[in-house]
Amino acid sequence: MQELLVMAQIAGRRCAFPAHDVKSVIEIGAITPVPCTPDFILGITAMRSQALTVVDCRRALGLDEASWSLDDRAIVVLVGGHFYALRVDSIEDITSGLGAPEDVPGGFGKEWTRVANGMVETRTGPALLVDLPLLIAGPDALGVAA
Amino acid sequence: MDDLLTDFVAETREMLEASEGEIIAWEADPTDRARIDTIFRFVHTVKGNCGFFDFPRLASLSHAAEDALADCRSGRREADSALVTAVLAIIDRIVAMVDAIEAGEECPEGDDEALISALKECEEPIDGTDGDAEAHHHQSSKGHAPANAILDKDGDHKTEAAAAKKVDPIAAQRSIRLPVDLLDRVMSGVSDMVLARNDLAHRLRQAGTQPTIDGPFERLTTILADVRDAITRMRMQRIETLFSAIPRLVRDLAADLGKQVMVDLEGGDVELDREMIETIRDPITHIIRNAIDHGIETPHERLAKGKREIALLSIAARQSGNTISIVISDDGAGLVQDKIVAKAISTGLVTEDECAKMSREKIINLVFEPGFSTADEVSNVSGRGVGLDVVRDNLERVGGSIKVTSTPDVGTLFTMQVPLTLSIIAGLTVGAGDQRFAIPQSYVEEIIHASAKALDFTHVGETALVTFRGSRVPCLTLCDVLDLPPSDLENAQQTMIMLRLASGDLFALAVDQIHSHGDLVVKPLAPAVMKSGLYAGSSLLDDGQPVLLLDVTNVANEHGLVSDARQRVLQTADSAASNKAKDASRAMLFTDFAGRRSAVRLEMVQRIETAPVSALDLAASQPRAVIDGVILPVIGVDQTTMPPEKIRLLRLTDGHCELLHAVREIDDATEITDKIKPVADDPMVEGVTLIGGQTITLLDGHALFARYGEAPAAASRRVCSLPQSDWARDFLAPLVASAGYQIAETEGEKVDVAIWLDEEFEAASALDMTFEAPVVRLRDRVDGGDDTDTVYRYDRDGLIAALQKACAAGGNS
Repeated sequence: MQELLVMAQIAGRRCAFPAHDVKSVIEIGAITPVPCTPDFILGITAMRSQALTVVDCRRALGLDEASWSLDDRAIVVLVGGHFYALRVDSIEDITSGLGAPEDVPGGFGKEWTRVANGMVETRTGPALLVDLPLLIAGPDALGVAA
Repeated sequence: MDDLLTDFVAETREMLEASEGEIIAWEADPTDRARIDTIFRFVHTVKGNCGFFDFPRLASLSHAAEDALADCRSGRREADSALVTAVLAIIDRIVAMVDAIEAGEECPEGDDEALISALKECEEPIDGTDGDAEAHHHQSSKGHAPANAILDKDGDHKTEAAAAKKVDPIAAQRSIRLPVDLLDRVMSGVSDMVLARNDLAHRLRQAGTQPTIDGPFERLTTILADVRDAITRMRMQRIETLFSAIPRLVRDLAADLGKQVMVDLEGGDVELDREMIETIRDPITHIIRNAIDHGIETPHERLAKGKREIALLSIAARQSGNTISIVISDDGAGLVQDKIVAKAISTGLVTEDECAKMSREKIINLVFEPGFSTADEVSNVSGRGVGLDVVRDNLERVGGSIKVTSTPDVGTLFTMQVPLTLSIIAGLTVGAGDQRFAIPQSYVEEIIHASAKALDFTHVGETALVTFRGSRVPCLTLCDVLDLPPSDLENAQQTMIMLRLASGDLFALAVDQIHSHGDLVVKPLAPAVMKSGLYAGSSLLDDGQPVLLLDVTNVANEHGLVSDARQRVLQTADSAASNKAKDASRAMLFTDFAGRRSAVRLEMVQRIETAPVSALDLAASQPRAVIDGVILPVIGVDQTTMPPEKIRLLRLTDGHCELLHAVREIDDATEITDKIKPVADDPMVEGVTLIGGQTITLLDGHALFARYGEAPAAASRRVCSLPQSDWARDFLAPLVASAGYQIAETEGEKVDVAIWLDEEFEAASALDMTFEAPVVRLRDRVDGGDDTDTVYRYDRDGLIAALQKACAAGGNS
């Protein structure tokens, strides 16, 4: 399987997003905060006439975002008919996956297993294939599921 | 080939939608040639198109229907309801096949022959009973027509012609089919263009006036506005698409229930956002089902009531401004008030007394309350657990409303109001903190600057209140609602937006500024954001910044500002009750030391006292004052704002207890004429009301006396005798005294209650001593076991309770 993947660093780990789900990569402009929403939602921002929900991936995983740098670009994905802008440490490259995603015995750790679709090998090394709907559901979804 | 097939499916569908209403109309009037022609054209086209493809079953079905209809057209055959049913069954089968063709599946199994023979069967009786069908066709068709129609054949022909003219379908518009996705893309493209234009306009303004550019730019602006308007219209659909399904629905329901119903549709050319059409589809269907199931009587009952046996159900749509009103009326039995009342009482919505005070209109609108269904038994038509409350909720969610009026035995009339579109709304942009939010204009009743005198911004407990058109209205601050840091603006500098909810409740929302108002294109928000329940969507401002649209109804709900069904129902009852009370209510107005204008009911005020400040004892937790040699509790004292020498006190009494209320200023005795609005937060406050245009906090006498009231100390203290011991004198006496008892000083004094140490009591009773007063016995041990007659000597509360009990017992005996 030669699926194209967008590679990014989230909380210091290499992650892969299926390029099919990624609509574009944008420079983040002004973000309008949305009061009374979970803290992983940074706010909404405009991409042309579309409103994007800006999600901090580190917080969406339930990790502390302060320890890592923040890319001023964001990955725009379409999930369930809504556009999201994902903020990550850094956006690396587009590469193709080598083979199908596999599970690793023992999982990837509590936070990561929740959003993982498995490990995928790429030319630049292994990466965690992210399940977008689960990522965007936020850390609280874990508590609901458990 | 695939394209051809798609066209075939689409064309069949379109013609079907157009002809469904015609079939029902034709059944109502089988001689109506115009209707037969339409249906004939449909089956004919289907038959013709089948020739291009290999659909033998479709061809044979449509051929059979065409034959039967052709016979009707040429007068060889009578159209009756059996024929209509047969033709409808064939059309249904055709639809099922077309669906299967579109999905690329096998045609659904089914016995086509049975359908075709059904057509022939209903033909036979006419041929069989009437050998010369052609010749006598007119007569037989008039067999059950009104007698005068037979007598006046010419007249009959005229009405036929008139009917044909009247039912001319709305002139067909030339149209093409487009995928919805494409429309949405065009629409968002135009939105982008508007944003780009705004950006450009901004830059042009910065650059100063440049006539060579400004001219073309103006033109661009105008064109863009036109295009935007046209695109908006593209989203519109004629309400006809909704109406076209109604005749069939009504026919089937009426047939099921053995009723006869005629449908009258009006205003099919009114245009509505296609999403809105989907939203109102279920409510309309629901009301129609209800009307036919419960409202409309059987033909027999109708005749008995002197009505036409065929009931009329009319549905009319009208546009007025940017709302559409849809009126659904029937001439059935009407809503039965007694049944509604009985149901409302049994579900605890109202009490009998309350019902008695309510107007008929109020009562019949109870049907929209949750858990309401007057159907005696659940039929398969209506009463499927979805009530009118759901209908109302659905409509209110999109900013619409519904109400009902009904006259017994004349009919019922539902009026629905819905906004023209969901996606473009007029909105008000407001500022809170350094953010902007939008509020749908439809909620906004009025905008008032908070500094306005008439607004009279006050706090009662934690609740902020403003006065709007003479009534107290709760006030929310947008920053608080959204958990934003409070703004630096003083209350007086904020702007109040008076918001009226669909339920009729009014509240004020304090915002920092009003920015602008205009049309907002509303986009849905991601589920994670919607979960907060505060927002209805987002929109982009002219400068391209996203702005959140507040969900006003939900915000009000969260803060408990939407009166529940019960309260809403009781509103009239309440006002009626307060009207009655208003003659009797008089109150003493005063200003307290917090500067609050308050009042107490005049019945409570015994006297206005003026006392030297020195008479007040403020050291204790409960301030007291000595008036006329009596010690009374004082409330309303604020030491920081005390006058230097004399203080005015209201001496309040409930007939037994007394207390003093310190006041800064006595105003006047006056009548309470306005409604008293209850306040939940402060237990000491009965409510707020308006007196002479000013808001007054009316103190709750009951609560005041329950908390502070005590009998004047000198007069009615009960006397209590104590055991003779040092412990009693030093420990027990102060406790008993502080509980309000006077200690008997001499032996043999008449006492109301006596306290004995248990061992002394036992000794005394062993000597057959008589006890003139009730006795409270004290024991030494903490744990008295089962002994409930004695109280542990350090059980303070137990002792006081025992004293009270003993006094009460003594008083009774």
